[in-house]
Amino acid sequence: MNLDIADLGALWLTLRLAAVTTALLLVIGVPLAWKLSHWQSRWRHAVEVIITLPLVLPPTVLGFYLLLVLSPNYAPGSWLAEALGQPLVFSFTGLVIASVIYSLPFMVQPLLVSFSQHGGRLTSAAAALGMPPLAALLRVLLPASRPAIISACALTFAHTLGEFGVVLMIGGAIPGETQVVSVALYQHVEAMEYGAAHRLALLLVVVTTALLLLARWLGRSAVVKDRDVPVMGALG
Amino acid sequence: MDLALSFLRPAARHGYGEKTGTRGLAVEGLVTSLNTTTPWQLALPARGTFGFSGPSGSGKSTLLAALAGQRACSGRVSFAGMCWQEGTWGLAAHQRDLVLGFQDVRLFAGQTVADNLALAHRYSRRRLAHEERAGLIEAFGIAPLLGQPVEQLSGGEAQRVALLRQLFSNAAVQLYDEPLSAVDRSQVLRGLIPALRAFWARNPALVIWTSHDFNEIQLLASHCLWMEEAALRGPVAVRELIGFQASGESAEHSCCSRLEARVESCEAGLLTLSLGDVLLYADNVVGCHRPGDIVPFLLGSGDISLSLERPGLSSILNCLPAELLAMVPVADGRVRLELGACGQAFCADISRLSRERLQLEVGRRYFAQFKAGSLTGL
Repeated sequence: MNLDIADLGALWLTLRLAAVTTALLLVIGVPLAWKLSHWQSRWRHAVEVIITLPLVLPPTVLGFYLLLVLSPNYAPGSWLAEALGQPLVFSFTGLVIASVIYSLPFMVQPLLVSFSQHGGRLTSAAAALGMPPLAALLRVLLPASRPAIISACALTFAHTLGEFGVVLMIGGAIPGETQVVSVALYQHVEAMEYGAAHRLALLLVVVTTALLLLARWLGRSAVVKDRDVPVMGALG
Repeated sequence: MDLALSFLRPAARHGYGEKTGTRGLAVEGLVTSLNTTTPWQLALPARGTFGFSGPSGSGKSTLLAALAGQRACSGRVSFAGMCWQEGTWGLAAHQRDLVLGFQDVRLFAGQTVADNLALAHRYSRRRLAHEERAGLIEAFGIAPLLGQPVEQLSGGEAQRVALLRQLFSNAAVQLYDEPLSAVDRSQVLRGLIPALRAFWARNPALVIWTSHDFNEIQLLASHCLWMEEAALRGPVAVRELIGFQASGESAEHSCCSRLEARVESCEAGLLTLSLGDVLLYADNVVGCHRPGDIVPFLLGSGDISLSLERPGLSSILNCLPAELLAMVPVADGRVRLELGACGQAFCADISRLSRERLQLEVGRRYFAQFKAGSLTGL
């Protein structure tokens, strides 16, 4: 498969964006889902709805509002631009912020389901053995939720790979800075370069399929672990 | 301000520990959503094993969860002078010197048996020495399971691992909720219970052992708590359980009685015990017994035969002179006898035909015979 330099640049940018977004969302999503899973408040449902919004909103709506919020013409955007030393719209950083918000439900929902399922039972058992809440999260809840974490990361990564509307609204299509594969593909179609469009489309199909297969395999092997683990751990 | 620092306050600040003079577990007027009209009172010493029984759904698990700080409740709970519950305020569960077991075991998913035990050891209240842990793993038959993910364990294996995890925690107060209900009975009575008794002899703690199996309770404890329709009674002496069994619904089935005897010697797998001036013999012994130890054991009511005269030489090694205290007819043409020897009572089941042939009378002395293999829990 022959890809030209611009397409390879778009592919590299897309992978970088997906990796950074997934890593950031893992850091944000775990405490958020943990808090939500045992938050006894009537506001919980409101927060869950807000987190779920990107799933149902047209990406252009989200992109439009983000464009306004991150624009240097308005307060939040100008503060952030000043703090980060660069404008956020039409930049890679702006894309990352938009992707984090856009993919938030794909990270939080699987974690929330797993934490709610295991949470009460396992954290009470951990507390009964003298483990403080944070230790219970890190040493009990996260290992028990390993399949959910792998699946959440895979979904987030794959979803970010396929972003189009939000990217176009907030990032445009600056090669090497904001031009991701889906946007490059759109531009090829616009220019009636169907061969190049085919190559990029096929590449996305193959990469996302492989990713989801890998996540399934990792998720399953996380449940059925190898028998040859060190057995002396119990004896310290 | 009080809320932020309240978990630090000891009971002494309220004068509670001094006022009652108790250094053990004191529960006063504990109320949960289950027992709004029958507040629970309980006073137990800082060390010792207590059974806990009662019908299903009567509130046993609720009481244990409330003591552990894992269920909303109000009232007063303190242990060793430390306030755990005062009104609706409660010390966080992980800050209490207490370990609670659950009926549904709650092993840590996604981890191996070894990982589970290692975590319990890491957060142990009093870390056990390597030899002690290795001994427990051996006694509970966990060694071959150490590398297995907990999802692959059978029900009985999971229970044994969960129980071991609690022992590794080695808290001052240990609450067990039907911990061995899915484990083979003979393995429990002949192997695990003696190992547990030996462990708590070396590592004293206040143990509350919930079970529906009186044999388990009798072997572990001399006293028992009883919960019925959310009303807590006890501790009552286990001996009262024998009376309960002789007259209660369980009289339909054969029962076991707890007796205590002194260890004289243990040679070639045969344990010699003395009960008053009578020597008793037990084989199939698991535990490690030292001469002079007072050990409890169980005697099945169906394993005892009765004779009028002292029998001659027989392959049945044990012959215990006993007074007939009471007779109760039970199902299937049997009669349950309550016998007394050296201040201890035990039950024996015989047929009605035997009772007529022997012309048994309450108050007379007979000779109870039983084989060395019928003493369990040693």
